[in-house]
Amino acid sequence: MDRMPSQISTFSLLLFILVLYNFSTVDGNAEGDALFALKTRLTDPNNVLQSWDPTLINPCMWLHVTCNFQNSVSRVDLGNANLNGQLVPELGQLVNLQYLEIFGNNISGIIPEELGNLTSLVSLDLYENQLQGHIPKTLGKLQKLRYLRLNNNALRGTIPYSLTTITTLQVLDLSNNHLRGYVPVNGSFSHFTPISFANNPKLIVPALPQAPAPAPAPAPAPLVS
Amino acid sequence: MMTRIWMILSLCLWIFITSYRSNAVQSDIDCLRSIKQSLQDPENLLSSWDFSNSTEGFICRFTGVECWHPDESRVLNIYLSDMGLKGQFPLGLKNCTSLTGLDLSSNKLEGSLPANMSDIVGYITSLDLSSNNFVGEIPGTIGNCSFLNVLRLNNNHFTGQIPGQLGALKRMKEFSVANNGLTGQVPFFGNFTPSASSYAGNPGLCGGPLSPCEDTKKNNSGLIIGNTL
Repeated sequence: MDRMPSQISTFSLLLFILVLYNFSTVDGNAEGDALFALKTRLTDPNNVLQSWDPTLINPCMWLHVTCNFQNSVSRVDLGNANLNGQLVPELGQLVNLQYLEIFGNNISGIIPEELGNLTSLVSLDLYENQLQGHIPKTLGKLQKLRYLRLNNNALRGTIPYSLTTITTLQVLDLSNNHLRGYVPVNGSFSHFTPISFANNPKLIVPALPQAPAPAPAPAPAPLVS
Repeated sequence: MMTRIWMILSLCLWIFITSYRSNAVQSDIDCLRSIKQSLQDPENLLSSWDFSNSTEGFICRFTGVECWHPDESRVLNIYLSDMGLKGQFPLGLKNCTSLTGLDLSSNKLEGSLPANMSDIVGYITSLDLSSNNFVGEIPGTIGNCSFLNVLRLNNNHFTGQIPGQLGALKRMKEFSVANNGLTGQVPFFGNFTPSASSYAGNPGLCGGPLSPCEDTKKNNSGLIIGNTL
């Protein structure tokens, strides 16, 4: 009877360690799983995703993936990589992602609305692809976004007004798409000019500067003796 | 014979493909080259502006230059504050056709601003020319730069009246002409009301947040507004 408590305590210690180990690998693997889901939906003729091995403890050693000091993915750099295929909703699970750079490829399909969950995102560069569908209004939740470049795709529909609430937005390029409707001019969009919206034939863009108006008659000057 | 034709065809195809993807805007490169040529740079802070090796997006690595996309030579903003630069307002800016931000503040620039500002920087949203030695009148055509949010002309030697056309700038959020030699009625801006500090340090401005302007028809004892020096 004396041995029972020590056996129980050893067993529970082992169980505790096992559970802890399990949790730590699940954390790292969740982000690796999300990126691996992306890999399975992409065609990769240049083998840029060759190092994306889901059996590793986390994706931080994968090429084109950068992690922060907590081993959580902060950057995905797949620009100009000759990738085909589509984006995946699982990308929205990379909660510490700051830079999503997948420009200059042949990616089709839609922009997943789950990207709106990437609340740490600073840069979203999906330009020069063949993306279709609408700009998700969930992107308005990206309240730290500075660069939003979706130009040169086949995006349709209207520009979500939610984007005007992103006060950190510095560079916006939606040019060369099939967007329609009115361009917002309020909020952060007061800083954007027709350049950001060029070449969307059905988009109604704020008026270009008019020819100079005739100079008004000089106003009365103050009396100076 | 056939292999030669194929070689020529593939060369043509390669040129076509690369030129289609290449969005290098030659005008933007000319714009920056012209700026460098027209300004004196005694502190050699523009030494990174080297035009000899022109790869895709090379101007995006220049000091003070921000591009729309890092791999495409199309200029978004030019930030050249406090670099000891001398010379006149660079007319070559006209060729930076996608420019939205220009900061030339705290330099030693001089001369007057070109009369056709909206031809040169028509899409500008932020224009900071403060703390230089600019003279002459503020061009009315700045009023056609309808996307302006920020206009800083303070601490120069601008004279004459502030053009009423500036009141047409519906997106204006920040405006200063303080510390110049300006006189006369300030523009009526509509929704936006500049504070008195936007106009401070000028000899004879009136109206708006300042004391009202006196009518010249009034035959009175001569109420004096501003300095008489």
